Amino acid sequence: MSGRRGRNSAIRGPHSALTDFLAANNISAAEIRDSYRQRLERAEADAAAAAENGEGPSAQDVDEEEQAQAESSAMAAERSKKRKRDQDDAIAKIKKGKAAKKDAKKKKKKGSDDEDDSDFGFDDMYKKARKLPGQLENCEVCDKRFTVTPYSQAGPDGGLLCTPCGKEMKKEAKAQEKAAKPVVRRGRRKMESNRLDGVTNRGTKTLQQLCIEKLAKHADDIDEFGEMPEAIMDQLSAIFSKKRAMNPTTIKLFLQPDMDRVEIHEAAYLETENFDQIFAVVPNIKKLALRNCCQFKDSNMEYLIEKAKNLVDIQLLGANLVSNDMWIRLFSARGEDLRSFKTEWLDAAFDDEAVEALAACCPNLERLKLERCKRIGVSSINAIATLGKLQHLTLRFLKEIPRENLLNVILQVGKNLQTLCLENFEQPALEDDEQTDDLLLAAIHDTCHNLSKFRFTDHTECSDEGYINLFTDWDNPPLRYIDVNSTRDCDNANPEGPDDFPIGLGSEGFKAVMAHSGSRLEYLDISSCRHISYATFAQIFDGVQQYPHLQEINLSFCPIVDTTTVASIFRSCPKLKKVVTFGCFKVKDVVVPRGIVLIGAPKAQDHVMEQFGDTIMDFQKELMKEMERDSRIAGGRVIPVMG
Amino acid sequence: MAEKQLSEYVTLVSSDGFEFRILRSAACIAKTVQKALDPAYGFKEDQENKMTLSNINGVVLEKVCEYLYYNQKYAKAKDVPDPDIPPELCLELLIAADYLQC
Repeated sequence: MSGRRGRNSAIRGPHSALTDFLAANNISAAEIRDSYRQRLERAEADAAAAAENGEGPSAQDVDEEEQAQAESSAMAAERSKKRKRDQDDAIAKIKKGKAAKKDAKKKKKKGSDDEDDSDFGFDDMYKKARKLPGQLENCEVCDKRFTVTPYSQAGPDGGLLCTPCGKEMKKEAKAQEKAAKPVVRRGRRKMESNRLDGVTNRGTKTLQQLCIEKLAKHADDIDEFGEMPEAIMDQLSAIFSKKRAMNPTTIKLFLQPDMDRVEIHEAAYLETENFDQIFAVVPNIKKLALRNCCQFKDSNMEYLIEKAKNLVDIQLLGANLVSNDMWIRLFSARGEDLRSFKTEWLDAAFDDEAVEALAACCPNLERLKLERCKRIGVSSINAIATLGKLQHLTLRFLKEIPRENLLNVILQVGKNLQTLCLENFEQPALEDDEQTDDLLLAAIHDTCHNLSKFRFTDHTECSDEGYINLFTDWDNPPLRYIDVNSTRDCDNANPEGPDDFPIGLGSEGFKAVMAHSGSRLEYLDISSCRHISYATFAQIFDGVQQYPHLQEINLSFCPIVDTTTVASIFRSCPKLKKVVTFGCFKVKDVVVPRGIVLIGAPKAQDHVMEQFGDTIMDFQKELMKEMERDSRIAGGRVIPVMG
Repeated sequence: MAEKQLSEYVTLVSSDGFEFRILRSAACIAKTVQKALDPAYGFKEDQENKMTLSNINGVVLEKVCEYLYYNQKYAKAKDVPDPDIPPELCLELLIAADYLQC
């Protein structure tokens, strides 16, 4: 009913002559009726107030009542008027929100169809005539008297508002609009993000997860965690880091004297003194992992050397304020004890000398990871070759490394290695008479017998032949993790690579890989391995041969992969969770079984999230029938349904 | 062992004596409760259909029960709305959730 009279309510229904006459003389039936009702209500309110006072007969109330009686009737009337105004105020505020919504609805309605009869007529007639600009009017919300202007806003009940109230009203309306919009967007964005992370969100989160997320939201209000199980502490630390809530205040929550490890995944907001706190509070620390510890300085390292006597495992990412000499001091002071050392993203310090010191002082090192450190080069590689006890080695150099030196590392330390990751190694150009270089792979084949994780990416010189030789008759148990992405020839003039000997992991190489490791393989990344043929995929994932442990496979930019290939991969890998197919444009309307997430295939995406619930299963069956019809042309494969 | 009809409802008792009668199916979402009530093990909890949680107080246990029903209700739905957890209960609830494995 109310709110009908907006600023632009110029359209009026048929009025009687009397109404028009009254309106022209600025007399409104509604006004007369309103003032009568107001008088009536006032009397009622007074009576009610009196009764209320009688209910709680405290001394003050009685006093007040007496006083009220003593007061002149005019004063009483004024007081009650004020009370009423306050009351009205409160009601108006509540109504405002509702009315605004109604308004919006009405406006929409108006847009769609013409005025219907109920919209005007009686309701309208009984309302006060709207004051014209220049006339005086009482504001609908605050009851103040003001001069009407053409810009005066209409209130929630159809009256006019004074300028301050009008402004407020506008502000609120805007705020509401704003609040309504991003919620939707955030939800969708989150969903997409989860999908790309491979999270299929069916059902509810665990109560633990919910609590942890809530805690992260209220990070600043927590005084103490108390006795928390270690696993939960780890999760809390991780989510605090993710939400960028790990700061000088919250770090204290995570430092407890009885801990033996401190892992902070995002330490960028921590100050220099916070790092000292770690060693002061947790003197028995054995494992330290700090990522993005930008403010970790020489003084912290000195304190670490002095305090943390039990430290065996150090991981410092982005600690660029630590000088070269300090790194060397660390190794010479603590080297004997160190079992694991990882660092990444160092460019200011940490040069070959530091790595040489590391190799000389840390004979017991079992795990070493050096990635993207700008200043280290050939001498470092040579130094690493002397670390005989290494079990896990991950290297990613930014400088060019001659292949003999890399070869030497494999030959020296290869026999104990369980993890070998060699990424993006740039090597000097090959001599003219050589076209491929498989010595490295041959060395791995001959030296390494304990590998379970193997990453060998972006090598542009090893041939398919090399991979065949590596994985055929290799005296090494089946691997758990294989990543050979981007092993292909990079030559713009000849994008297909040489015809007679494929560069990178090709068809035969891939067959050898799966024959060797298929039984234990959990993770496989063969993205950008362009020379694997369609027939090879069809042969390896034939739906009969099973890969019982394979959970994640990345086939991105293998252009020949199509819907059928992906479907038969689903059938061949019972434990599969995630398939990545960026740039595989032939993957189209594939039906994704429940519990698996398929990333990167634009047309398949819509189905991914639809894979649960019984009703959807029917829909899935329907799709399957379609698929069968389609695939009969493509070789008669049937798409499996799981779960 | 004699075949016994499993009761539809079970009782969870808080440390301060509040009793919550909830559906067995909901209660068994918490793995600790499920194990305690599993007839295969024949614990006292199973015979009485009642489990006393001496380290969880009534306020927290009420929230836990709320969660269990919430979990049951939305088990198959997608894009589930997160329930409202009062921040002041979060830590206690987290410890309870860890204990109950839910």
